[in-house]
Amino acid sequence: MGIKKFVEKINDYQQRLEQKKAKKIKKSHVEKVIRKLEAKRDALKSDLKSAEKPSKKDRLETKLKVVDEQIERATWLLEQIG
Amino acid sequence: MKKYLLPIILLVLMTGFWVSRDFQEIAAGVAIFLFGMLMLEDGFRLFSGGLLERMLERTTGSITKSLGFGILSTTLMQSSSLVSVITISFLSAGLITLAAGIGIIFGANIGTTTGAWLVAGFGLKVNISSYAMPMLALAIVLVFQRSKYLRGLGFVLAGMGFLFLGIHHMKEGFESFRDQFDLTRFAMTGVLGLVVYTLVGATATVVMQSSHATMVLVITALAAGQISYENAIALAIGANIGTTITAILGSLTANFQGRRLALAHVIFNLVTAAVALIFIKQIVWTVDWISDGVGIADEDFALKLAVFHTIFNVLGVAIMVPLTNRLIRFLEHAIPEPEPDVSKPRYLSQASDQFPATMEVAMRKEVKHLQDNAVELIAHGLNLHRHELYATNDVAATVEASREPLELDIDETYEARVKTLYSAIVEFATRATSRDIPTEVADQIHALRDAAQASVRAVKAIKHMRRNATDFTKVPHGAITRLYNSLRSEIARILVEMHKLDESAPELRSSLSLDEERTTVEQARKATTRTVEELLLDGRINANEATSFLNDSGYAYQAMNDLIEAARVYYLETEGGMAEVERILALEDEDIEELSSAG
Repeated sequence: MGIKKFVEKINDYQQRLEQKKAKKIKKSHVEKVIRKLEAKRDALKSDLKSAEKPSKKDRLETKLKVVDEQIERATWLLEQIG
Repeated sequence: MKKYLLPIILLVLMTGFWVSRDFQEIAAGVAIFLFGMLMLEDGFRLFSGGLLERMLERTTGSITKSLGFGILSTTLMQSSSLVSVITISFLSAGLITLAAGIGIIFGANIGTTTGAWLVAGFGLKVNISSYAMPMLALAIVLVFQRSKYLRGLGFVLAGMGFLFLGIHHMKEGFESFRDQFDLTRFAMTGVLGLVVYTLVGATATVVMQSSHATMVLVITALAAGQISYENAIALAIGANIGTTITAILGSLTANFQGRRLALAHVIFNLVTAAVALIFIKQIVWTVDWISDGVGIADEDFALKLAVFHTIFNVLGVAIMVPLTNRLIRFLEHAIPEPEPDVSKPRYLSQASDQFPATMEVAMRKEVKHLQDNAVELIAHGLNLHRHELYATNDVAATVEASREPLELDIDETYEARVKTLYSAIVEFATRATSRDIPTEVADQIHALRDAAQASVRAVKAIKHMRRNATDFTKVPHGAITRLYNSLRSEIARILVEMHKLDESAPELRSSLSLDEERTTVEQARKATTRTVEELLLDGRINANEATSFLNDSGYAYQAMNDLIEAARVYYLETEGGMAEVERILALEDEDIEELSSAG
């Protein structure tokens, strides 16, 4: 997956931070985003359980993959900040 | 009347200059004082976009806080007009409530009394011009600095310097004038004096557009013995009446809330003036009693006038604060909220483009207004009803059942409800960002303008596909109907997701969830292309139908991506650190491509 672009974005952020053109990311910021993503993952899982149509299940599974990917990246970002 | 006013003023001034050199000095003192006030306002405006707005936003909690803010800011800025303009602007943009606005205006009336203390207690006792000169010299160095805040400080310092210089010239002018003319010859006593001098004070304030300047003029004249204490009191009352004109003028470009606030200001000042005129003897007795208590000399009428001015305004606030709720009910009745007209901009008024914080908030609200209109038109353009979509558990089934074409002139509705708002947004963004505002605010305004553009593109795309989408879905035509229904369903799902984002609690809402929509849209686009190829090979649709559908699906996916982009900008975190996290975690096109292909 586009890890290269993800890392590039972090590098770009650090450069902007050094030039005082970006606001500093605190641990609490990342944790707050993770909480939102986890809440969304729980909601999707619950929808998936009650879904009957195969097309709806497919869509929900795709959405779950997206949110899982975002949580993984956010967790990695949190480790870097910490 | 208006066309005669300017020549009359000029004629009076020229005659005065010809008759007396000292009158020139007094008039120049007033002019320098007013110029100082303008510089103070310009200086404080350069500080907007930060501390000032944050402070004002926090005054919405209670009437005490609003009063406190009004007193403090007016004392600091020495201009109740600037505080009024800021308050009307914030109220128009919906950043503060009417109750908070009223509290600030009441507080500003108390804050403005500090000007009288400054002049009577300090300006007349010391050689004030000796402070003015170094202040002006230091100010000019700061005014030429690149930093906005240093320039702001320079203007504030220069403003103070000119205020001091103006007071000095007024004081000198009146002292010399005393040797040639004795203005006390025109003094009037009793009720007639009270009425005549109240009118003179009101007129002087209307002409100078500043009650502060009138008060300074009155105090300096009083200190030079050119007017009687009794008449000075009437002039002070008149100044409070005259200042309501500034409030009325300031509200002309504001929305209904701004006009309500201006009316509150007028009512406050007129009630206060009426009470003061009725109970003038009791107030004057109280002034003497307090002055005795704090050790003000019997003959120090300038300081006693400052005491009167303070008592008079505090009394007004004491009378009006308990009546605030009644006043609000009256204002809401007298100036009702206009029926919402969805085709007109609601938040982008001239009052809301005065300060960076109000610009951003007004822009954000207007862009949301445009998005709502766009969503409605898109749903209706596809013969769908939003309330049915938002309530259903099966979007595809609801869409399939919505076959009845809606009576809609999509071009006319687009012009009336989307294009007019978009034009107002573009004009506002251009006007706002051409000013000296913080870069991050300008970036936000540009991003919001682009979000509005994306919503407009989405509507235009639906306009292109409406005819075929209607023709192929109003009665079943087999495979091509199913294709069009699947497209309508995909768009409907985006509308439903946008509605869910709108409805969700801010602590759970994240623009990142729109990446899920981007991925499912991309997945659907790929699946649609495959399906069309299969149907064409099987002969279940003909080449004409296939090309029409592929053109329309291009419009549909364009509309979906634009809707997602508009929502992403709107819901993106605005707080610095959080916004950075969302920016880093947002998926790139190649991520979407990979996730939509997997599995």
